Amino acid sequence: MEKFENKNFKIVLGKIFSLGILFYFHKQIFRMSFKKIIFWWFLFPYLIFGQEIPSNGVQESKHEFVALTNAEIIISPDKKIKSGYILIKGDKIFKVGKKTKFPKGTKIIDCKKAIIMHSFIDPYSDLGLLGKRKTNSHRIENTAYYWNEAIHPEIDASLYYSRDKKNIEKYQKMGYGSISTHIADGIARGTGTLINLSDKNTRSQIEKNKTASYYSLKKGSSKQKYPSSQMGSIALLKQAYFDYYHFIESKKENNISFNHWKDNLDLPQFFKVDNVLELLRAYKIEKLSKAKFIYVGGGDEYNAIDKLKTLNPDIVIPLNYPKGYEISDPYIAKKIPLKKLKQWELAPSNASILKSYGVSFSFTAHGIDKAKSFWKNIRKTIQRGLSEEQMLKALTIEPARQLNLSSLMGSLSPGKYANLCIYKENPFQKETTLLSSWNKGLEKKWDTSPIVEALGEYQININGIGLKIKIKDKKISFSNDSIGEKLSFETKNEDITIRFLLNDSIHSGLYLLHGKIKTNGSIFEGDALLPNGSLLTWNAYRTKEEKKQNKNKPVSDSTKTSHYINLWSPNMAYGHDSLPKAKKMIFKNVTIWTNEKEGKISGSVVIENGKIKSVIKGNKKIPEENAIVINGEGKHLTSGIIDEHSHIAISKGVNESGQAISAEVSIGDVVNSNDINIYRQLAGGVTTSQLLHGSANPIGGQSALIKLKWGYLPEEMLISNAPKFIKFALGENVKQSNWGDANTSRFPQTRMGVEQIYYDAFNRAKNYKEQWAKFNLNKKGIAPRKDLELITLNEILEGKRNITCHSYSQSEINMLMHVADSMQIKINTFTHILEGYKLADKMKTHGAAASTFSDWWAYKYEVNDAIPHNASLLHKQGVLVAINSDDAEMGRRLNQEAAKAIKYGGMTEEDAWKMITLNPAKMLHLDNRMGSIKEGKDADLVLWSNHPLSIKAKAEKTIIDGILFYDIKEQDSLIERNRLERIRILTLMMNEKNIEVIPFTKEESHPFHCNTIGEIELNKENLH
Amino acid sequence: MATRFFILFTSLIFSNGSFSQSSALILNGILHIGNGETIPSAFISIKNGIISKVGNYLTTSYNKTEWDTIIDAKGKHIYPAFIAPNTTLGLTEIDAVRATRDYREVGFFNPHIRSQIAYNVESKVMSTVLTNGVLICQPTPRGGRVSGSSSVMKLYGWNWQDATILKDDGVHVNWPIVNWKRKEPSKNGLTKKYKQELSELESFFCLALNYSAKKNIDSTDIRLEAMKKCFNGDRRVYFHANEIQQLLDVISFVEKFKIKHPVIVGGYDAPIAGKRLKDAKIPVMIRRTHNLPDMSDDPVDYCFRLPSMLKKHGILFCLENSGDMEAMNARNIPFLAGTTTSYGLTEEEAIEAISLSTCKILGIDKKYGSIEKGKSATFFISDGNALDMRTNNVSTIFVDGKTVSTKNFQFNLYKKYKNKYQNQ
Repeated sequence: MEKFENKNFKIVLGKIFSLGILFYFHKQIFRMSFKKIIFWWFLFPYLIFGQEIPSNGVQESKHEFVALTNAEIIISPDKKIKSGYILIKGDKIFKVGKKTKFPKGTKIIDCKKAIIMHSFIDPYSDLGLLGKRKTNSHRIENTAYYWNEAIHPEIDASLYYSRDKKNIEKYQKMGYGSISTHIADGIARGTGTLINLSDKNTRSQIEKNKTASYYSLKKGSSKQKYPSSQMGSIALLKQAYFDYYHFIESKKENNISFNHWKDNLDLPQFFKVDNVLELLRAYKIEKLSKAKFIYVGGGDEYNAIDKLKTLNPDIVIPLNYPKGYEISDPYIAKKIPLKKLKQWELAPSNASILKSYGVSFSFTAHGIDKAKSFWKNIRKTIQRGLSEEQMLKALTIEPARQLNLSSLMGSLSPGKYANLCIYKENPFQKETTLLSSWNKGLEKKWDTSPIVEALGEYQININGIGLKIKIKDKKISFSNDSIGEKLSFETKNEDITIRFLLNDSIHSGLYLLHGKIKTNGSIFEGDALLPNGSLLTWNAYRTKEEKKQNKNKPVSDSTKTSHYINLWSPNMAYGHDSLPKAKKMIFKNVTIWTNEKEGKISGSVVIENGKIKSVIKGNKKIPEENAIVINGEGKHLTSGIIDEHSHIAISKGVNESGQAISAEVSIGDVVNSNDINIYRQLAGGVTTSQLLHGSANPIGGQSALIKLKWGYLPEEMLISNAPKFIKFALGENVKQSNWGDANTSRFPQTRMGVEQIYYDAFNRAKNYKEQWAKFNLNKKGIAPRKDLELITLNEILEGKRNITCHSYSQSEINMLMHVADSMQIKINTFTHILEGYKLADKMKTHGAAASTFSDWWAYKYEVNDAIPHNASLLHKQGVLVAINSDDAEMGRRLNQEAAKAIKYGGMTEEDAWKMITLNPAKMLHLDNRMGSIKEGKDADLVLWSNHPLSIKAKAEKTIIDGILFYDIKEQDSLIERNRLERIRILTLMMNEKNIEVIPFTKEESHPFHCNTIGEIELNKENLH
Repeated sequence: MATRFFILFTSLIFSNGSFSQSSALILNGILHIGNGETIPSAFISIKNGIISKVGNYLTTSYNKTEWDTIIDAKGKHIYPAFIAPNTTLGLTEIDAVRATRDYREVGFFNPHIRSQIAYNVESKVMSTVLTNGVLICQPTPRGGRVSGSSSVMKLYGWNWQDATILKDDGVHVNWPIVNWKRKEPSKNGLTKKYKQELSELESFFCLALNYSAKKNIDSTDIRLEAMKKCFNGDRRVYFHANEIQQLLDVISFVEKFKIKHPVIVGGYDAPIAGKRLKDAKIPVMIRRTHNLPDMSDDPVDYCFRLPSMLKKHGILFCLENSGDMEAMNARNIPFLAGTTTSYGLTEEEAIEAISLSTCKILGIDKKYGSIEKGKSATFFISDGNALDMRTNNVSTIFVDGKTVSTKNFQFNLYKKYKNKYQNQ
């Protein structure tokens, strides 16, 4: 093995090989001139074994053996030698031990008790590849790549890598030796390449062309419109896997992307995510990949630590911690979200928290801009409880394992690459000097000045003058100021230069001194340039030694604090101190809006184990053991408000607007449990929301039905076994009427086109179903391609998925019912439906429900005939009616909105109340579990201060599944707690030494609405 | 009396417009004067568009024959006109249709732009606002640094002259934004851009101040002409500002330019500046209270509580409702006020915040804002509490003594389809 890589051996082998070729082609060769033959014979080995760049001058000879002796060697996290040697042969470690005899000719380097550590390995980087793909985009239409540009597994980073000297040096200074770098762009990003961080040229730096496959949920530089949201990215990646498996099975056509993917799937699969919620999203894709993902996390994994413990994923976590904030101005300090402050505080504890929960991880330095910050973060992490051994493991053994490189690197054992760093002292404990880094047996010496430190008081003797100076903290001063001025000094290795101007009447003028520092800095000796221009020797001796202040005290156990005692759920303002649990509760003497045939009664309600246990009329005595008893005198108890149309709690895009039909995407994939609007809506008595896809396309995405269980993870908020829903949309939004003059080309642009979209989609879905039916009959041949969009459309046709359709004017509502009738399906709900009152009778016949605004209108042309009496008119005709919000603010005042139906059209109070509770429950087919106060139903209750439809009503307690999530009584103490927590962290920030700070800039908040495209609103003047 | 009633209502139904009478009595209603006081059983008389008497119905004697119209308001509530200040009502019809938007002019310093003449008295949107008790508004131009001059208008009139209460009541300044993402940040949080924008604003006001002091003007500058009255107190200057840094800078600015009638519009952080605003005597139009807090850490009910916080500081305030779909949403102003009654204001204080206080801030309180002797008869009667959605049922509207239809096109559409189903 070793010899094989010897260059000379290659040439010899090449020559032998070429003789064979010579024999084979002897006829042709005989025709060549002798000179030509000799020429080719010499050149041939270079041709087949790669070109060598001609060296300038004679070839350097290298030591076969190099020994690093007299060093503390950390072979691996659990194996150390206090004083020993490492013998390097070529690029590998030959031997490690305490004492040995070195072979003849070994170059011996005395490390003077320095500490040797394996160079670190980074599995996630874009070194030398930043912004590469944008300029190298090769996708031309109608080529044999995958149709979507964001899926490009064929991209091979080694083809694009070029040496980035500046950043290599940054990594070297961080103690890194190898990194896997890739082009951080797109969803299936292609393969990364292993780079050794030597100072060699680009060719020699590439160690292994393909190390791993990389993925993310970001579309990247692709110019295609699809996907425009995170749920679109998820759906696209899923579909790509299906397409790939079909490709492998069918072998029908060629696909360059898939040809490459086939090979890449055997490599380690790294998945970059921005935060732990994204990690959990990517985790759901993993099973499709048939390979284990290694997640490159966002550094907030502690936020879902219990969940991670059960999933036990392989993770790469960032050492790049959030920077602190400049907090000179109290107004600004007040505006920094607590969430960000808490993130700043807890990020360095992430590793130790993961460790204590047994989750395995490696580190990445990705995103760190200075080596100094890297080392600071390392030490901070250790301070927060990660042991030095664990730290080293996560920087060497773990990344090597994740990259399948354990046989080559990870520890300083014989046979592995001689990738190591020599530090003056243990860098995990204090700031120290990197003396040299070795990459595959080649040394890089760092400028390690000053080796000897000049520190203390000195007497300088020069030309008969005696001067007293003092050097302290890199500052130099005369002991008597009047002597001279402009005194400065510099040390370099073992040399010192001093300069000054003397004021002395006899000796005045410029003095330039150069000297060697001797005997540990107690004597300087050298030459000086005097004012008269002559060079004269000088010397100095130390008269008083200054003890060097040890600024970087080794990590002591006393500073290790348990920083995650203040981990809230979610970890932001109004988060719970600990996750609340269901309790037995009794509401006594309260007015109960049952929504059942009993109507409004006075009595008690008992809840237990998350369910309504009993509803008792009057003041019967109820056993109160082990229960929290709430006296509801003068108050009203109702079932929780259900918002049929909401866009809160959604991450990165509510619309997948890249295509007219996006049935494959699902809001359920991107629920954001940290949205403060969840809490705000609890304060408005909302317990359940349908999170709908936006209205940018005729067939939008799938809905998520969630309970607003603030503090729980998205999966726990999603209602289990909930009926399936999908968003449809009609009218101006899908016609892109108000999107500006640039958007006039996507089909459809008219209501006429919208109709045809539906016919076409359903016909395609039917064909698809037939194809599968044919195949399933005898399972012969190749299975048809799995298509997520058409599968979803078939769910609709089979009645397994309900439609909620955004609609305004009567013509289109009529049209869609007509289309549905012809497909023998039902439109479950028309949402908005502001002209519903014009065809209430037809809706009743079709069986469609109406979920509407109370009084919105005039925001676009199609709502010009909208009237606030809509709900009442529809209700009177027997249509099931709900009032929804479509707006994060109005969502918390739905009780007021429902009450407007009393004013406009004279609805009864109980009917009005049902429009935001029982009726939406029926629309969502959840009325068997919620929507009324009835024994056995979910304990989703709201205690109101007042008549719930009155303008004075305030939600006092909001309970979901028997868990108290909002209590008005706690508000003051929560606000106070938030305030104290803010001050506590700001104080920590102020006290932190050498903290890196950035100015705080307020983030614009953009609540989503129906027509929000991408992550921000398209046009403020035209919503919904 | 009965015949007179008949005349009143038939004329409403057939003309679908106003009905003018020279005198009217409104008897026995629950009167919310607008200044914080109530009369549980009130006597109100109107003569020639002016309120001639307000008193206790039980102790006031009157001669039935002297009055054209007598309305028995027993059990009903009588409110002064509710007001929608700082709105695009009348300047827009359908938000998404560009042709119907008349509130944003090109240019950055536009004090000469006047909303009065673009005010559409036949706006369909306006008719739906009027019928909820909002009888006066302040159509306000948007955009730029100085967006233009607003006027105070009635929601009813034959033309804009007819509808005008106060022409060009003030200019509106959109205070520079302090510190947003994507704008270059700086150490103390004040971006260079902010400082630059602030100095641009100052230099414009300097220019205007100098111009206003000139006795002989060589050539007329219509922009600066429009600013003139801001300095002598004839016009208000409305500073649209929310953040504390902005508010404090507004206070200094007002002092520097000796602006007689400054008003802050927005005022999200006004409680922090409490005493300073009070001392500077700057009133605040509190931005839409049906709004989410700006910051995730702010109390969930912060916007609902803003009015009561300013009340504690003794600052003169009123409510305004600018924001998304503000024109259409102006009809919900009564409910904005209603919500505050659960967050620290009494019912009468809430009413004051959308009637008399607003008129004080707009400078029309001598004639409008409360139901008091000598003021314009611009008020309405509601069957129940007008601040609650369930009971806001406006049965009679007076605008300068004229009764105005309480029905609008939406009601007509409602009737039309109700009849359709009833006849099926």
